[in-house]
Amino acid sequence: MAFDVTTHAEDGVLTVRLTGELDSRAAHRFNEVIGAVPGGTVNRLVLHLAELVYLSSAGLRCLVFAQQKLGRGTEIVLVGTRPEVAETITMTGFDRSVTMQDPVDS
Amino acid sequence: MVDQRTGTPRDRTALVVTETAHGAPELEAALAAESFSTRRADPAAVFGVDGAWAERGWGPPDLVLASAALGVNRVALIARRLTTAERGPTVVVFPEDDFEALQSCVRAGFDYVVPPFLPALLRCRLTSCWERGQLTMAVQEMAAEASLRQYERDLSVAHEIQAGFLPEELPVRRGWELATRFLPARQVAGDFYDAFELVNGRRVGFVVADVCDKGVGAALFMALIRTLLRHTAEHTAAWNLLDADEDTVLDTAARTSAVPSPVLSVGAGPLLQAVLGTNRYMARNHLRQGYFATMFFGVLDPASGSVVYINGGHNPPVLLRADGSHQLLAPTGPAVGMMPNSVYSLGHTTLEPGDRLFVYTDGVVEARDSRGSMFGLPRVLDALGTPATASAEDLLVSVESGMHHHVGGAEQFDDITMLALVRTPPEATAVA
Repeated sequence: MAFDVTTHAEDGVLTVRLTGELDSRAAHRFNEVIGAVPGGTVNRLVLHLAELVYLSSAGLRCLVFAQQKLGRGTEIVLVGTRPEVAETITMTGFDRSVTMQDPVDS
Repeated sequence: MVDQRTGTPRDRTALVVTETAHGAPELEAALAAESFSTRRADPAAVFGVDGAWAERGWGPPDLVLASAALGVNRVALIARRLTTAERGPTVVVFPEDDFEALQSCVRAGFDYVVPPFLPALLRCRLTSCWERGQLTMAVQEMAAEASLRQYERDLSVAHEIQAGFLPEELPVRRGWELATRFLPARQVAGDFYDAFELVNGRRVGFVVADVCDKGVGAALFMALIRTLLRHTAEHTAAWNLLDADEDTVLDTAARTSAVPSPVLSVGAGPLLQAVLGTNRYMARNHLRQGYFATMFFGVLDPASGSVVYINGGHNPPVLLRADGSHQLLAPTGPAVGMMPNSVYSLGHTTLEPGDRLFVYTDGVVEARDSRGSMFGLPRVLDALGTPATASAEDLLVSVESGMHHHVGGAEQFDDITMLALVRTPPEATAVA
């Protein structure tokens, strides 16, 4: 499934919707989106992951990179994460750095 | 003009691109006299709709004569549009009336012809333009090839250096078998395994780790993380536990067997220090680069079969009991290098005779067939369900062949690393 990323920024909240598979081939596209964010302008990153079907370790690295780039003060919220993707996030312990929400809460 | 491959003259095609309605009669006549098969097109036909050119059944011409009156930008566009992956035409500009326009094309690097277009003079000029074009192309190809060769040399050096970061031999203990596989997807990998003696040979440390991502970046971090882990483990006194960070909490919740606290086990100190120290170093110095490693680090007491371990966010290794049951050794902490102040618990288990431990990286379970379906843990468990007498090597061969069967002809995408630790059953020990 092809990877796609769409973004929307408003009032310090960057909303990113990821579709398909986030792996080493797709990583640069997500990194470009995060890299383009001017420093200190985002205090909340909301990632909609309901249509993300696969997250490899290289893909997870993107999320870690995003956290580094945006700074510890930026809250990262993962919305509607599928079980198979959530498993990778939980297994590696990255769930300790983010908030995981069901779609209804957002 | 001569066919480069055969050296024989062939049918030469020329394309005259001009916006003038009557074309460039003198030029076209001279080309005809030199037996070029000549076509005329206006620029729109060349860079109009994609594929319009090919639809007319016109192959790329050998020679393009573009009117300087089109302007340098359009001439450059025409040259680009008519260049295929294999070859590009020789592009030559000619003046209609405007010699200023010709001059700007020549400044941009295009070759040119000027009237009067007498056949013999034209042929002579075109031959030299063609030769110059061939020479430029040959030089570009040589440069590209040279830089590719340099790149390949660098990678193969990196490959050899990385091989030096894997153990030359595995520790051998009576009653135990240890086997490994290391199958990088590219020349260099982010995966690694390690096995070495600890505490004056009383313990055997073994590691399977996966640095996120792959290729050269992951390989550099592999070298760093492997070194930090091994160096710290080898240089920490057996009982040194208590200089861990104050915010590090040790608990034994991950214990899977009711024996004395693993914290008190010889070898627990080096294990904890290695993982905590590596995490601390990575978090302090490399957090911004966003590299981290998932790892399983076990310390075996060959005398008792006791294993204390830390699973830092790694795919749970499979512990197969001699009776055919199995359990998974779940993470006892997060991936190493991902966050500062990560907390790690010690896990503990015991391998009885006939028990087997299979440690692997995600490249195994995420190996895909051509339709994208993953090998998955259930198939790994199937492959591991070989007779309890199987050797460590047999286990790896079985998983490998199951994986190859599943993947079929699909290309290996991720690094694959496996380690099998088997406590040989008593009868096998007696035979040996």
